[in-house]
Amino acid sequence: MELFNNLLMGLSTALELNNLLFCLIGVVIGTAIGVLPGIGPIPTVALLLPFTFGLSPPSAMIMLAGIFYGAQYGGSTTAILVNVPGETSSVVTCIDGHEMAKQGKAGTALAIAAIASFFAGTTATIVIAVLSVPLSMLALKFTAVEYFSLLVLGLIAAVVLAHGSVAKSLAMVLLGLLLGLVGIDVSSGVARMTFGIAALSDGLDFVPIAMGLFGLGEIIANLERPSERRVVSQSIRSLIPSRADLRAAFPAMVRGTALGSVLGVLPGGGAALPPFSSYALEKKLARDPSRFGKGAIEGVAGPEAANNAGAQTSFIPLLTLGIPANALMALMIGALMMQGIQPGPQIMTEQPKLVWGVIASMWVGNLMLLVINLPLIGLWVSMLKIPYRLLFPAIVLFCCIGTYGIANSLFNVWLMMGCALIGYFFIKIGVEPAPLLLGLVLGPQFEENFRRAMLIADGDFTVFLSRPISAVILGVVAVLLLAMLSPQILKTRKQALAE
Amino acid sequence: MTRSRIDLQDLLFGLFLVAVAAGTLVATRNLTVGHAADMGPGYMPRVVALALMGFGLFFTGRGLWRMRIGIAPVQLRPLLAILASVGVFALTAERLGLAIASVVAVLLASFATREGRLIETIAFAIVLSGAAVLLFVKLLGLPIPIWPR
Repeated sequence: MELFNNLLMGLSTALELNNLLFCLIGVVIGTAIGVLPGIGPIPTVALLLPFTFGLSPPSAMIMLAGIFYGAQYGGSTTAILVNVPGETSSVVTCIDGHEMAKQGKAGTALAIAAIASFFAGTTATIVIAVLSVPLSMLALKFTAVEYFSLLVLGLIAAVVLAHGSVAKSLAMVLLGLLLGLVGIDVSSGVARMTFGIAALSDGLDFVPIAMGLFGLGEIIANLERPSERRVVSQSIRSLIPSRADLRAAFPAMVRGTALGSVLGVLPGGGAALPPFSSYALEKKLARDPSRFGKGAIEGVAGPEAANNAGAQTSFIPLLTLGIPANALMALMIGALMMQGIQPGPQIMTEQPKLVWGVIASMWVGNLMLLVINLPLIGLWVSMLKIPYRLLFPAIVLFCCIGTYGIANSLFNVWLMMGCALIGYFFIKIGVEPAPLLLGLVLGPQFEENFRRAMLIADGDFTVFLSRPISAVILGVVAVLLLAMLSPQILKTRKQALAE
Repeated sequence: MTRSRIDLQDLLFGLFLVAVAAGTLVATRNLTVGHAADMGPGYMPRVVALALMGFGLFFTGRGLWRMRIGIAPVQLRPLLAILASVGVFALTAERLGLAIASVVAVLLASFATREGRLIETIAFAIVLSGAAVLLFVKLLGLPIPIWPR
């Protein structure tokens, strides 16, 4: 009953006229960047952050969340029509989706992708609503000791389950933590690592760092590759799938949603893991696996559902515990902090309107996507014809203005320039920058909770093991790290994450 | 990708981490460290820096030890053009105003590729500049001058 009341309160927030508007803006911008290959959701959310300051916290979060799941929607359109993934998460959709398009069934593939995404989005919204209450009840028992252990788990799990070398990612987390410590120490008031620069005393803004590392670094690396001519020449005949198509796709949709919902909650799961796992599952379950790669409708429905379900359930750790599951959720935490809301286990009890409003808005947003996307397909296709030589200078300019806009500070623009150079360096040496962002956003909380835990325990490190909840959490961390040392698991992980 | 006698990717990352860690240790040398029950401002930075140093030395060692592929050659044109575009924007935005800074930034960024056509780029830069002024200053109220003061 409480669940019902919560959802009702969320819906009433989400259905306020201005929130509906921001949700719409979010999903439309999200779809647009999802359609365009080469711009990910991370720089986009970072770019739009400064403009959400004037909004109320629920409106801001509703819009930013809309960008994220809108991007998952848009990515599949590009995958099906041009065989180029708009987002990394839609790589799998290219395989069978584009094959269907080649056979003249582009409309069916697009419609199935949209329906699967909507179905998954609706289910995932319910999953979030059901799981949120018990998780936040658990969270209320947390003291600084448990919260510190949870932060460790979040950081380690995000590293283990994400792409790239575990050792390098751990180093990147530490680098992020270190950057998060820059500025005036809250407990002693002493300036740390500010090198006498006044702009640094409040700490490093994460927006210029995110834009430099993810946006500009990526652009520079993209420009080094020879440009490819993409031809869009798909005529879309019928958007309505036949009854047989729907019957074939439905079980895959359900399985994909279940898989995506579970994987999305895991830290580091986010967007990349679920579609790959779902595709592998569908291929294994199919009576005739050889159809896959030749336009199997299950190969579109399953991964698309998994992708969207995962994107949404990755909000669960953020909304209930204040722990980001991936770099994008770290940006969301940053957005909350900029709104003056301290993310953490109390967020659900202190900000019920915000949390339930965002949850309900996801369902509203998914409905909007279903309704607006299919008729607008022509618009998205024409966006694909914008050449990259015009696109990237525009992104660079908007990054400059957006970064300046967070604090009206030119220092941030210089910081972004430095981070662009470092981001390019990271791409060259094959290091994934996402863990750095997690470390950076969680750095201050990490130190603060460690300090408080040590105060409670009078400097006794064993406190993390003598308290039951904390000991269990750290046990999971130990298992995760030990598992990484086993060559068998290392091999499967490599295969699972290989694109 | 070129073959290399050492693993350049690991080596460069390792050296980078060592440099950051060493820099941190120097920058925080005057901060009180304290102990776990009573942490000084220098406690956390030093712990993290030492851990980073460990990772850095590990990667440096592994890079020298293993033989693997080197890194792809760096192309200066896109790198310098994008960095210059951002840098010039930072130098000019508050002095010359958003309108001029935007045009210059877009033009400089366009040099990153050889595909650009001059006339098209100039026209596009002016259109973008106008759009930026409308969107950011007029619509979103960003306090930045439009024209030189």
